[in-house]
Amino acid sequence: MIDRLANEIPRFFEYYTMALLLKAMAATLVMTLVGCGFGFVGGFLIIILRQTPGKLWLPLRLVVITYVEIFRRIPFLVILYLVLFFVQALASDVSLFVIATVGIFMLSIAYTSEIIRAGFESVPRQQIETATVLNFSRWKILRYVIIPQSWPVIIPPAFAFMVGFIKDTALVSQIGVLELTFAGKILNNRGYSAVLVFGVILLFYFALSYPLSRLGAWLETKLASSRNK
Amino acid sequence: MNYTFQFGEAFKEFPLLLSGAVVTMELAFLSFWGGTLIGLAGATAKIYGGKFTRTLAGWYVTFFTNTPALLQIYFLYYGLPEFGILLPAFGSVLLGLTLNAGAYLTEIQRAGFISVRRTELEAAETLGMSLTQQLRFVIVPHIAKTIYPPLANFFILLVLGSSIAAIFTIDELTGVAINVSTENYRWLEMFIVVAGMYIVITFIASFLLAMVGRYAFRVKVKMF
Repeated sequence: MIDRLANEIPRFFEYYTMALLLKAMAATLVMTLVGCGFGFVGGFLIIILRQTPGKLWLPLRLVVITYVEIFRRIPFLVILYLVLFFVQALASDVSLFVIATVGIFMLSIAYTSEIIRAGFESVPRQQIETATVLNFSRWKILRYVIIPQSWPVIIPPAFAFMVGFIKDTALVSQIGVLELTFAGKILNNRGYSAVLVFGVILLFYFALSYPLSRLGAWLETKLASSRNK
Repeated sequence: MNYTFQFGEAFKEFPLLLSGAVVTMELAFLSFWGGTLIGLAGATAKIYGGKFTRTLAGWYVTFFTNTPALLQIYFLYYGLPEFGILLPAFGSVLLGLTLNAGAYLTEIQRAGFISVRRTELEAAETLGMSLTQQLRFVIVPHIAKTIYPPLANFFILLVLGSSIAAIFTIDELTGVAINVSTENYRWLEMFIVVAGMYIVITFIASFLLAMVGRYAFRVKVKMF
């Protein structure tokens, strides 16, 4: 075992394997950033739709609420397969990378919209009522009352969600997207020891996730203290 | 969209899917309770342990919460045989999920431990409460209030997370769907049905957990 590792390690840490792993790591990161970034915007839109007044918008509100409730109760793997086969039934030439990003996007909309909703609800009701009395429009209430006060509550958990999703993207290897986990499978198939390959991949994920989660924790204390001033 | 849905093909396999759902619940249940035990040990080590056990528990949590569960299971499934330890597929998935859950549950339970304040225990002692009374009226209600909602939430996440087992050829809900679809080619229908089943299962679980929380621990748990 030790002999095998000692034999393989110099071969493993050469230019081409490292280039493959770094490229795969970039794919993991880009997928997460794009999927969760658009997911954040989508989640924001969902909350705006959810807060529309009157009976006219009721069907739309119901659709949006159902979407959030449903997508938070389906495993990411199942969502990936669903997106894969839906998209392939519509168009056969969409790249797997795009399909995976769409899957991440659809799931992250549901989770981030709940985070944003919690943030909006942290603004005291009286302030919104006061703003209404002062004849603020709905848009102005959002712009000048809700958002300035709720973003310190929203950003830390939203950031934590994104960092957490870096790990979930490992499942994307299952539909054949070249990211860290898939790169690990390729190297393992080429005959490198599984302990070596998957150990190194675990460290890559750790190197990606740990600094970001520390940054998130720092952001949380920073924003919390600015709120209490 | 030139696709004709044939849900009949998917519903024909419903008994098989149900047996898969049972395996899903088994995985979620076993890894939840295993993880809770590990978490209890971890939280105890983190709060009452010496420097060494504290650091050890800290590193365990940091490592397992910062790496994907899938890779942890890959390591157990493909890596351990190189050391001469050959775990069956179900065993390695269960072990991986349990170790992973243990790390998150350590943090949840630590928060619960911390929520019992020293002054409250002293007050209870001053009022002449025995240890069992302290447990019954002070310690358990406090801990339950802090950790029950995140625990219930985590159980739901574990039900969803156990779908990872499909990758290791285990016939849980997702695994059955993959197996059947490779034979009848109704992928889309199968996965729509399976998604629906996950929704129903987690709704039932949420409801039961909310009921248990309300009547056994007097904790309000949000269902939605």
